[in-house]
Amino acid sequence: MNKLRFYGAILDWQSRAVWGRHMKVYRRNWYTAFLPPAAEPVLLLLAFGLGLGAHVGGISFGGREVKYASYIAPGIIAYTIFLTAFFQTLYGAFIRMHYQRTWEGQLTTQVELPHVIWGEIIWATVLAAVYASIVAVVIILFNFTPLIDISVWGLIASLPFCFLFGVGFAAAGLAFTAWMPSIDHMNLPVFLIGMPMAFTSNTYFPIPQGNPWLDLLVQLNPVFHMSELTRGLMLNGELGWSHLIIGLSEVLIIVLLATPPTCRKLRRRVLGDSGS
Amino acid sequence: MSLLLQTLNLKKSLGGRVVVDDVSLQVESGQVLGLLGPNGAGKTTTMRMIYGFLRPDAGSIIINGVGFDADVAAAKRSMGVCTQSDTFDTDFTVRDNLYVAASYFRPQVPDLNEHIAGLLQRFGLAEFADQKPDTLSGGYCRRLMVARALVNRPKLLFLDEPTTGLDPQARRALWRLIRSLREEGLGIVLTTHYMDEAQFLSDQLVVLDEGKVLAHDTPEQILGEFVGEHVIVLSQPLADSVTEWLRSAEIVGHEGVPGELHVPVGSAQLSGFAASFETLDYDVRKPNLDDLFERLSGGAQ
Repeated sequence: MNKLRFYGAILDWQSRAVWGRHMKVYRRNWYTAFLPPAAEPVLLLLAFGLGLGAHVGGISFGGREVKYASYIAPGIIAYTIFLTAFFQTLYGAFIRMHYQRTWEGQLTTQVELPHVIWGEIIWATVLAAVYASIVAVVIILFNFTPLIDISVWGLIASLPFCFLFGVGFAAAGLAFTAWMPSIDHMNLPVFLIGMPMAFTSNTYFPIPQGNPWLDLLVQLNPVFHMSELTRGLMLNGELGWSHLIIGLSEVLIIVLLATPPTCRKLRRRVLGDSGS
Repeated sequence: MSLLLQTLNLKKSLGGRVVVDDVSLQVESGQVLGLLGPNGAGKTTTMRMIYGFLRPDAGSIIINGVGFDADVAAAKRSMGVCTQSDTFDTDFTVRDNLYVAASYFRPQVPDLNEHIAGLLQRFGLAEFADQKPDTLSGGYCRRLMVARALVNRPKLLFLDEPTTGLDPQARRALWRLIRSLREEGLGIVLTTHYMDEAQFLSDQLVVLDEGKVLAHDTPEQILGEFVGEHVIVLSQPLADSVTEWLRSAEIVGHEGVPGELHVPVGSAQLSGFAASFETLDYDVRKPNLDDLFERLSGGAQ
């Protein structure tokens, strides 16, 4: 399969069938799957917004001071998208590939490996979007309290952009899944890549500027751009074009560069095709 | 009878070693092709190439008139695959496993509900339809695997060691189902370690060794060619005179069961042996694929 056909497989019905299968499983277990995205923002807004916020006071954003709880609300959305998409392709896909052998069953049908890969990536992104939507509902409910003050329309407008960012995080997670020898090794990408990305992204606190290396690291971090894009829409009602363009360019590069070697590695790993 | 599978000169190397070398096969409707050979002979690699898991280095695969290179999805629409290990979807019930598997095929099977109900009934799975597959016994797990391979109404069925690990009753039950599928016109490609299974189910056998086709014929013809027409069963230890007779006739046997030597011979050799040892107590049986397997794997002594 040449590269163009590989990328084009994202639109094939087989890719839809793969993520449709995951959706069916999710719908059956929705009541347990629903809890984390619904409970987490409540806890975070109460703990950070009320608790820590009382000590922090206001934070300057876009030329005005905003409440700390309002500052972190967009961060929670960004963080949810990042972690859900990344973890779903990291752990969920690994379990389906290695323990449940779901992929092997799918590959005996008209589904080919690129469809499994795109199906996993799309599913992780859809799940991240579903979780982010649940988080959004909680934030909108909090918006009726004096704790936070955000633009509901800005929040709704940010979700489609977040979905696009999610594709990149899911593709990155799947790349690690292809290379990690066991589920225990997942700690490496989680703690060496995932957590540093999450904490250098302005999700929960603004990163101090001025250190050129830290500035570069932050600029290369798509979670930062997603977080700032969401914040701009939710707090000021403004679309941050630079964050949109730089962030989505980074996502595009991740997807284009990570998925073909992921497919080659998984072909060896799942199908035993090590080539000649 | 229509030609359902045609492979031409398949070659595959893995890790720098030639695993399959110039293998050509044909299967027509209503025919069972048994792939046989010792461990490492290339059976599973050949099978995995044909059902699309591995890409051949050279050669072509045509399924029901459609080349893999031309349209892999169309080629795979005509086939059903039962892999060596159980790969059903543990997130779903037995019934939903069939529905989910059906969702991976286009065009979809018409009257899918009736078809799936029929499969559940035919494979004795109806009473377990709403249970998760991990609650089934080994025999029923394999039935589910075969039923799932039939969910798209394939014309060609691949069964990779379908009865490994099953008790004799469950094996025979599955054999009856496989026989009935053959009678309905399905082409079937089978790999197995059980010689009685290959003999009972296969219309033609392909014997592979070190990736090459050693023989391709009916089970009877292959046994005659590689083993002989009869097998003399002798108790060990052998009398010196018997050992000397075997040595002079350049005949080697293998230890069929501990304490016995199974010696494949032709009709003339059997007559010679009978004449030489009129008072010796021994049995004579027909050769089976165990004898062939021993011969191929170098077990002869």
